[in-house]
Amino acid sequence: MKASGRRAWLAALLLLAGPALGQQPVPYDERLKSCAACHGADGNSQTAGVPSIAGQPKVFLENHLVLTREGMRGSAVMQEQVRGLSDKEIIAISAHFTALPARSMPGKSDQGLVERGRQLAGKLRCGICHLQDFRGQQQVPGLAGQREEYLVSTMIAFRDNPPPGVDTQMSAALYGVSDADINAMAHFLSRFRAAAK
Amino acid sequence: MPHPVTAARGYRAPWLFASASLLTSLAVNAQQPAAPPAAAPTPPPPPAWQQGKGADMADSKLAPHAGKNTETPASEIPIEKLKVPKGFKVEIWSTGTPGGRAMARGDKGKIYVGTRGIGRVYEITDKGSERESRVVVDKLVQPAGVAFQDGALYVMAINKVLRFDGIEDNAGVEPVDLTDKFNLPPQQHHNWKYITFGPDKKLYVPFGAPCNICEPPEEYAQIRRYNPDGSGMEVIVRGVRNSLGFDWHPKTGEFWFVDQGRDWLGDKGPQEELNRLTKPGKEFFGYPWCHAEGIADPEIKKADPCKGVTRPVALLGPHASALGTRFYTGSMFPADYKNSLFIARKGSWNRNQKFGYDVVNVRIGADGKTAKVTPFLTGFLDEKANAFWGRPAYVLPMPDGAMLVSDEQLGAIYRVSYAGPAKKKS
Repeated sequence: MKASGRRAWLAALLLLAGPALGQQPVPYDERLKSCAACHGADGNSQTAGVPSIAGQPKVFLENHLVLTREGMRGSAVMQEQVRGLSDKEIIAISAHFTALPARSMPGKSDQGLVERGRQLAGKLRCGICHLQDFRGQQQVPGLAGQREEYLVSTMIAFRDNPPPGVDTQMSAALYGVSDADINAMAHFLSRFRAAAK
Repeated sequence: MPHPVTAARGYRAPWLFASASLLTSLAVNAQQPAAPPAAAPTPPPPPAWQQGKGADMADSKLAPHAGKNTETPASEIPIEKLKVPKGFKVEIWSTGTPGGRAMARGDKGKIYVGTRGIGRVYEITDKGSERESRVVVDKLVQPAGVAFQDGALYVMAINKVLRFDGIEDNAGVEPVDLTDKFNLPPQQHHNWKYITFGPDKKLYVPFGAPCNICEPPEEYAQIRRYNPDGSGMEVIVRGVRNSLGFDWHPKTGEFWFVDQGRDWLGDKGPQEELNRLTKPGKEFFGYPWCHAEGIADPEIKKADPCKGVTRPVALLGPHASALGTRFYTGSMFPADYKNSLFIARKGSWNRNQKFGYDVVNVRIGADGKTAKVTPFLTGFLDEKANAFWGRPAYVLPMPDGAMLVSDEQLGAIYRVSYAGPAKKKS
């Protein structure tokens, strides 16, 4: 998690040296390029520590971007990226990435771990809010095909150190769940393919 | 830093039996995030909104609805779907204030609007043909409470109290932080506020139960009043689950308040309550043992649960989320609306068939003790599709006799006025 965080910082610094430095409002196309630089041109991230955003529910993306802009959520890198975005731009960016298909890009699967993750996710009833195929809905993010290490670090953060502005539901849902169990669920979810919309 | 799960501290909830061991394991987790728990993990406490969910509802998909944090332009608001009684008119008054709910009017006419998740308080200035808004303060933890008295705006978040002196003339005024004076308890759930000043010039503040259903610690499930500076605190109402709307009867001066009913007992209820307080500080309104018209709680039990409980004057429907509650004393509406009560019902989430999503009018009997509830502003909910587009949260009677209604879902405010009976010629 630490190393991937550093890489994300580097990526952000590279971006900051680009168009984001100017005083002029950044054109929409440039904004999308900024998103793509870390999250992938099609919204499926190939950068460790950076989540895939393709196919995420629109309300989730909007809420997350607004609360990040307000400084109440998200990483310092993302806060810098969304500074000054208007609501209109946030709605447009969210609509763009919602419409893109999510692609699962797993590495090698450990079938034992996948099975354990499947059972745990069932036991913890993740599918009630995230839906049975884990595609997410409304304000609830999709989990299917998300990057494994991002799922791990996010679940651990929810469990141990939820920042202000984050809904407490996930913290309660992950209370008392061990790192090993979180790893298994992340392994399973990152390899899960949601049904096509 | 308090972990959200410490919501369990110190009170008995059905899902919590060994609070000491729970807290110990929590502390271990907080200090050594990487270390897996040594023993078999305690079953996780459900999120606050799921507490009290019965085994028969384990697969229910009901959950609080998503709020919207972005601006909705007037062109995207289906205002033509709203219905009001004959002779009334409803129009869009202002837009562009995402999450706006409770409203307070300044002495010089500016409207202050609190929010929850987005953390902002807005100021809206009426420019005649249009309205302008700005953010007064942001990054607060659910600053839902706004009140105005003697030239000062009071803002109450879950963990902060701010006073902005002379804000209507001095937009950039630095707030005075009164937080320490108010001694706010730590739990967040149901502790976002509705605040208002009473006829006694004191500030009235609710402290909801930090759960769906539990025996709350001493400082919750009550309504208090304070002097404006935070001194002189008195508890005036006890046994309320979550009251986010109240006002004083224009004739009797009595305190009337709504209280939201508990979740997960099914689509029928218990219904939300409209209550009347006659003996401040001396009455008990039933929570958590006795609900609505005398329903004993099936989980939190004691002998004679409804004994000594003041019953509601009226029931406001199951899971309706009754919020804004104001008596109408203006002269614009027909005379029979005088001294009647308007209540905004933001609408249900814990009900399979959605309910509420309207503003009701409540006529109080001549004895001041009985009440009749009638729909007034409807059309936010499509009952056939079981879908809503807006969520009316608060009402604000204006000096000209019109009434503002905030829509928390679309970040808009509507104006309801009365033009008189339709003229035959036109």
